[in-house]
Amino acid sequence: MTLGAASVALVLLTSTSFGADEISTFSAYVDSDICARLMLGPITAQRIQCSQSTFKEGSEPVLVRLHNNMVLSVNKEKIIRPLVGQLAEVSGKVKPEDGTVKLESAKPITDASIPQGDSARRLLDVRTYRTERSAQLHEKIRHELAMMPYISNFDFISFTQNGADVILTGWTVRETNRDTAGRVVRDIDGVETVVNNIEVLPLGSFDMQIRAAARAALQRNLSRYFWGNGSDIKIVVKRGQIILLGTVSRKADSDLAFIQCNSVSGAFKVFNMLRVQASDKGA
Amino acid sequence: MLAKDFFKRARCFGFGLVLVLSSCSRPVPKANVTELGGGSEFSGFLTTYVNLKPNPNFENTMSYVSNDPAKNIHRYVAVIVDTPTVYISTTAKGKAIPDRGVWALKEYFQNAISGAIEDAFPVVQSSGPLVLRLRSAIVGIDVGQLPANQKDANTLDQAIDIGRVAVEMELVDSETGEQIAAAVDRQNLGEGAVVGSTTFSREEKFRAATQAFDGWAARLRQFLDSADELSKEDVERVESTNFPYASEDTPSK
Repeated sequence: MTLGAASVALVLLTSTSFGADEISTFSAYVDSDICARLMLGPITAQRIQCSQSTFKEGSEPVLVRLHNNMVLSVNKEKIIRPLVGQLAEVSGKVKPEDGTVKLESAKPITDASIPQGDSARRLLDVRTYRTERSAQLHEKIRHELAMMPYISNFDFISFTQNGADVILTGWTVRETNRDTAGRVVRDIDGVETVVNNIEVLPLGSFDMQIRAAARAALQRNLSRYFWGNGSDIKIVVKRGQIILLGTVSRKADSDLAFIQCNSVSGAFKVFNMLRVQASDKGA
Repeated sequence: MLAKDFFKRARCFGFGLVLVLSSCSRPVPKANVTELGGGSEFSGFLTTYVNLKPNPNFENTMSYVSNDPAKNIHRYVAVIVDTPTVYISTTAKGKAIPDRGVWALKEYFQNAISGAIEDAFPVVQSSGPLVLRLRSAIVGIDVGQLPANQKDANTLDQAIDIGRVAVEMELVDSETGEQIAAAVDRQNLGEGAVVGSTTFSREEKFRAATQAFDGWAARLRQFLDSADELSKEDVERVESTNFPYASEDTPSK
């Protein structure tokens, strides 16, 4: 009897200590890193196409937690590689503060398996996902993020707003930019929750050389997009991959930027995500 | 933010602990102080002094920030923080400046300036593209008086007076050595401060010394922040072009 009580106590203790490590099970969309950080909102056919094509081109697979849009990098990519573009039920230890999950398992699911009324359904249907935002609050968030100090050509910080919920996204070379963005947005009147999906990029010398060379090449050939101490073109470099972001006025400039970055020594993949101003999209 | 403060404090504590342990366990290496040349306005530490001008925003400070679009502070993303150089005052020539104390000064100041700037410029260890090198010098230390009641294993044989110290600093390109920004800070933050122990003990004058070094580090950060400020034209450009990818549709009122 005493032994039994001790066993129960041990089991309780063990489960408590495991509880502190928090293995959780949740529904997620398996996305590519690039699309997860740029195409926020419902899982549409366009998004699935983006996920699968950029993944094929080398963008790493990540998880997007369905109930809050949080992007999570995983430790075992091979588990989710076959599931890119699909929904999955995932188990693992989530670290929201650094946007990672230590993956235990992932299995494909259909949207029908997510119960009606579950918050995870929000992202599943464009008809049920409604972006509600006031122009004034949206502008305030945009202004605060644009005015942040120490934003370089190599940082891209963006957001989406759904009512009082804000999802921050992008990449930065300074950890402080991630924290500052979260803080300034959280401090804005009217904002209730902030999901911070901004990824801090490593400062390895290999990537630093690519950053410097890519900027030099673009500045030489597309100087009009570089002004004073900033630029309209953002150059995100992550483990040898270049992601071009921002807006250019002509399709020809977007193509030229892509060609220039492809010639940068050491860069093994260029993702051209530059937007072309509406008036020249067809040119 | 709390976590950051905790780690900063932990690092300072660790730094102090390392100093105590190292002072017990091995001989102190020579600290390499440099004697100031007589009659010169500057120590000669900076790469060049020709660009320095009085800075209206910082009392008793001369500074320079490159405005060259190809070589300015905005073009860099990380920094190497060199161990500071220490210059002794002309009046201290021939007097014994304790190596342990000079090391304590150097390491405290290096730690203070790293802490002050690291969230603006991440501190890295290797030179390369987009990396600055922060060089600094503590100029004009002298010998000072130890307080009578101060005596423990960390007490120096001879106190170091930082009462008339100036600080010279520059940011150079880590690959080419070209000066990108520089400052000579003569604000007398160390007035009345002496260092009498490797642990900068709690004695009032020693506390004044740590406050002085922290103060110079904070002024360096303010200087960097002011150098990083966007021009009016840049602000207008950012405001007119920086739209999030997820805002293609028109916001509802």
